[in-house]
Amino acid sequence: MPTATLAPERTAPAFYGRLLDHLVWVILAAVLVVCSLTIDNFFQVGIFVNIARQATFVGILAAGLTLVIIAGHMDLSIESVMAFSAMLAAYLVGSNGAGLGLAIPVWATLVLSLALGALVGLVNGWLVVRLKINAFIVTLATFIIVRGLALVLAGGRSVFGLPEAFRGVANASVAGIPVLVLILASVFLGLHFVLTRVRFGRYLYMIGGNATAPFRAGIPVNRILLQAFILSGILAALAGWLLAARTNGATANLGTGMLFEAFAAVVIGGVSLTGGVGRLSGVIAGVLLLSTIDTAINVMGMPPHYMQVIRGGLVLLAVVFDSAKTSLRRLGE
Amino acid sequence: MRHRSYLIILLLLWGMAGCTSGGNGGNTIIYLAPTLLDEFQTESVSAIESVLTGKGYTVRTLDGQNRSDIQLNQLDDALLLGPKAVIINAVDFDAVVPGIEKVRAAGIPVIVYDRLITSTVVDLTVVAGTVEIGEIAGAEIVQLLTARHGTPRGKVLQILGDPGDTYTLDIQNGFNNVVAAHPEIEVLTNAALQWEAANAGDIAEDQLLVHRDIDLIFVHAAHLAVPVVAALEASGKQPGEVMLVSSNGAPVGLDLIRQGWEQVEVEQPLYAQVYGIAEFIDQLIAGEALSPGTHTILGLESTLIDEHWGPTLKIPGAAIRADNVDDPRFWGNLTPP
Repeated sequence: MPTATLAPERTAPAFYGRLLDHLVWVILAAVLVVCSLTIDNFFQVGIFVNIARQATFVGILAAGLTLVIIAGHMDLSIESVMAFSAMLAAYLVGSNGAGLGLAIPVWATLVLSLALGALVGLVNGWLVVRLKINAFIVTLATFIIVRGLALVLAGGRSVFGLPEAFRGVANASVAGIPVLVLILASVFLGLHFVLTRVRFGRYLYMIGGNATAPFRAGIPVNRILLQAFILSGILAALAGWLLAARTNGATANLGTGMLFEAFAAVVIGGVSLTGGVGRLSGVIAGVLLLSTIDTAINVMGMPPHYMQVIRGGLVLLAVVFDSAKTSLRRLGE
Repeated sequence: MRHRSYLIILLLLWGMAGCTSGGNGGNTIIYLAPTLLDEFQTESVSAIESVLTGKGYTVRTLDGQNRSDIQLNQLDDALLLGPKAVIINAVDFDAVVPGIEKVRAAGIPVIVYDRLITSTVVDLTVVAGTVEIGEIAGAEIVQLLTARHGTPRGKVLQILGDPGDTYTLDIQNGFNNVVAAHPEIEVLTNAALQWEAANAGDIAEDQLLVHRDIDLIFVHAAHLAVPVVAALEASGKQPGEVMLVSSNGAPVGLDLIRQGWEQVEVEQPLYAQVYGIAEFIDQLIAGEALSPGTHTILGLESTLIDEHWGPTLKIPGAAIRADNVDDPRFWGNLTPP
């Protein structure tokens, strides 16, 4: 009697399927190889460490944003929350510029910043879930308001001269790995665990896919959404506090442009803007890809006027490749 | 019946609006700032309001938010308020020209402050000259490199602001013009998009790794110098090991000079520019012509000359170093005269 066996050609589609699932990592590897071969002095440990370190802030923003997008909404306020958090922390303990130079523990500034982020997230979430206002509109308004608050707080002045303990977070390393990178990795690993192993994470996917069905199944949709917005705010505030540590202070326009980068990283990472679909592993690859592009532009000696065109073009290319994988997958099926 | 009532109310309101339009602005002067996300601009607002209020005017400041379309709208609105004069610090030199021409056609004097506009006639221009600031920075940098190497040679990392901002491009032009005469000075140029400080820090961090022989970093605004210094510190550099030059004269630049990280800050003479406006504003409002000549504004010898865009008061920028950093005339010390 013949024994049933798997047809050998069925293993090839499985391989290609995995390749497509992680296409953004393949693109990242390809970009790193091309840059290493074509740009002088690119291929060195210091550059790779820089790429990872500089990815910290957009990475943490993108992580929080991913939660809200998976849940079927969006949060435009994250860049402003980051900026205000940086300004608040710097304003309290900065000894120069508009800083108050208060002698309070550094951890207290972190707690205050995170509380601020949670508050903005709470306001966003409440307006979205209770008053049923579109998240785009709500968070656009808070994006403008909170950036304005950063301007009001220091009267348009910059703050600098942070205590050594504060700045130390951005300069310290453990076994050669910058603390900032370790924090970024911890955020992603923690959220990956939440999304894959914790009920809250599963609910986010369910709500993002179809908010009505989970509601009818007795899942507390409003509470889950509120928590997602609060988490997004907290992570944005954390990114701001770390950014203040890195730049030894804060200016009113700190972080301008990072919202676009966070969105780009999320889209490149394969998270669907309609909700219910996406993984953090893709997002971190998207963040690293953007950071690699920025570093490559910094060191390749291109005239500065071309920076934005090149940046946007490479982001578009990465998105096109990632979108093409959907078509390739259908062909395979 | 109800519709007729609404129509009557609407007509009454329109009539009231018609009576109140084209208001008499009293003794109001309107100042159009390009942005408030820049310490030079916020201190300018403070100085202009303070000095002109002292002369008996009411100053109303509008924030252009770095958008030329907003400034054009603000010029249209300013017309309706009937001010005595409009002072403008343009987001974009050419985009605001139609608005300026409309205001002047209505008989309201227009004064250009800080950012030069040459494509239309205005009643007074008070500038330090951004190209000149770049030239001063270039001359100082050549001197610093000569002092280090014995001849004018070395490697300079130039960090611009946003490459779409003509202000930074003018500084770059002035700097490049001076340095071009010294072929042994190599210049690497990058732009900190949106004038964002973290971008400047990233640029410095990457370039210091790739070019370990950078002698000097030139940033186009003092707030960009802070993360650059953070990058230098993180890479184990000591103050002065990699020299630093900045332009605009913000308080942070002066503090970095005091700490030894920065060697020169090229100041835009903010207070002198504001007092330059105050010197002539009464004459302009009275419709009197301005005569070319030399004027001393806060101790700075300034020249009023007739250009094809109108009378222009040029006030020299200053190089701030460790030996004069505490001079109160520098706006970065925040001690208005």
